[in-house]
Amino acid sequence: MNEGMPESENHGSPISPSMRVGVRGNAVKRIWTIATATVTQLVRMRIMIFLVVLSAIVVGAGFVFPVFSPEQQLKMLKYVSFGALQFFSLVLAIVATALLLPKDVEDRTLYTILSKPVPRVEYLLGKLLGVLMLIGGGLLIMDLILCGVLHLRQTMVLKDALLFLQQSRATEQELQREAEKILAQGVNWNMQIGVLAVFLKAAVVTALALMISCFASSTLFTVICTFCICIIGQGQELIREFFFHRTFDAAGEKLASGVLAVLVPDLRLFDVIDNVVAGEQVAAGAAVFMLGAAVLYGVGYMVVAHLLFVEKEL
Amino acid sequence: MSVLIETMNEPTVAVTVSGLSKVFLGGMRKKPFVAVRDLSLTVKAGEVYGLIGPNGSGKSTTMKVILGLLAPTQGSTQVFGRDSKQVISRAEVGFLPENPYFYKHLTGMETLLFYGRLCGLAGSNLRQRAAEMLALTDLEDAAQRRVAGYSKGMLQRLGLAQALIHEPRLVILDEPTAGVDPAGSRKIRDLILGFRERGLTVLVTSHLLEQMQEVCDRVGIMAHGRMVKEGRLEELMAVEDQMELVIQNGDEALMAQIRELVNQSGKAKLVRAGHPRTTLERLFLESTAEPNGGDVGTSEGAEKL
Repeated sequence: MNEGMPESENHGSPISPSMRVGVRGNAVKRIWTIATATVTQLVRMRIMIFLVVLSAIVVGAGFVFPVFSPEQQLKMLKYVSFGALQFFSLVLAIVATALLLPKDVEDRTLYTILSKPVPRVEYLLGKLLGVLMLIGGGLLIMDLILCGVLHLRQTMVLKDALLFLQQSRATEQELQREAEKILAQGVNWNMQIGVLAVFLKAAVVTALALMISCFASSTLFTVICTFCICIIGQGQELIREFFFHRTFDAAGEKLASGVLAVLVPDLRLFDVIDNVVAGEQVAAGAAVFMLGAAVLYGVGYMVVAHLLFVEKEL
Repeated sequence: MSVLIETMNEPTVAVTVSGLSKVFLGGMRKKPFVAVRDLSLTVKAGEVYGLIGPNGSGKSTTMKVILGLLAPTQGSTQVFGRDSKQVISRAEVGFLPENPYFYKHLTGMETLLFYGRLCGLAGSNLRQRAAEMLALTDLEDAAQRRVAGYSKGMLQRLGLAQALIHEPRLVILDEPTAGVDPAGSRKIRDLILGFRERGLTVLVTSHLLEQMQEVCDRVGIMAHGRMVKEGRLEELMAVEDQMELVIQNGDEALMAQIRELVNQSGKAKLVRAGHPRTTLERLFLESTAEPNGGDVGTSEGAEKL
């Protein structure tokens, strides 16, 4: 279906050039309108209760590992918290996205939206932006809670550890070393790169789920498909290795590996959490690479989604 | 001068459907389904056009193609001279789907603001327009209630309000009174009559044929994806092989005399003579009856003389 805007000619049409400019020029406003409505829809579906529960896990994680060493306590807090962040963002990316488009078709809300001067690509971008805003907002809240709890816990652990060492008559150097080890596990910018990686991974999965929902017949199908692709995506590196560095016996095997390598996102690219938890510095170049990969995957999936959706019979 | 030029450029045709066919491809083992076959029709600017037909006759499919929601398999549709495939063709169209649903989490006012923003409205103009539409559809009291709590009739009226939010020149209504109680149904009928008075073009489908008879200037009757009859209501409803006499102050004796006189030379005064009318409902049933279907009887209103 041709969704293109008309060219400048006007064959006596009552639609004035100014109105045409209006339809073109309001694209950002229309995308924003659909995005904010999507956020409102998901928020009012009580989806944020999920966020509250996971935030409680983050807070709880700060106080449930007292038997470990001070450094390990902080590592475990970060490990559990990043797990909660990852879980929140991926579940939202898959389930919320899978719910949006089929529900609009089923409820015929899509008819009333697309019967307005709204190009289909704007509808898709609005939905994508809405889910990303919600995931981004949720991650920001959880990140703030994590930073607060980590800072509090670090202060407590540091105080206890130094007190213990002083009672054990440790040297000034030993105290300094212990303090440095504990401080290295505290709030820093490296941790924020970890949160960014979680967001970028969720953004790729959101675009993927949106693309699948453009041809899927149900929410369940979209959820299962996206979930499976996410699992395969964790091992995409192995598929690529298999495809490029192995001598193939069967053409079918080669073809299947090739298709998977192209279609499935390499989600391992965004797995820097282990490094962040271990206190290893994530290079700025790696962050830029993750950002570039997420943009490439996102644009690729949205182009395919648009091609599918623009031809969809409603 | 510019106003004059605009008026001269104003197209007299709001909707053009030319040789439209729509085939839905079936699944692997299903046959393709032909929903609309070689359909052509025009809706003139400012008229109320009723598209009627039994379920599955292709009315809604035709509307969806006009709105660009479906692509034609063959032929084309235009709205105010613009191909329906172009997004701009929807700038001056308001659409109310059958049994509309809206985002349940939004209130009535929020729903109108949402649709208004999609049409490029903003600020106080949008708020004022939304308030006007809520007043027009008697939803002022429910403006701050979530749509999830609306009755079917209220949803239908909210659907009308969103269809009108951007002051369209063409309103397309798919079964606007479906599932609405008689009072709500009458309210919607009055609104459609109001649209006609304001010069809006209306394309409407409905199963309530009496209401269609009340509001439509022209109707098209569809069956099996084809247009089987089309024209002005008064023309379609005339029974051409029968005559009607309207007699003032007549009684049985006079009727007997008239029969006698008509038999002889026809000297009696006829106040009005013409074609008796059937009802739109009967016309619909006759037009859409299956070839081997039951007899629908003779036309009502034909007085045998």
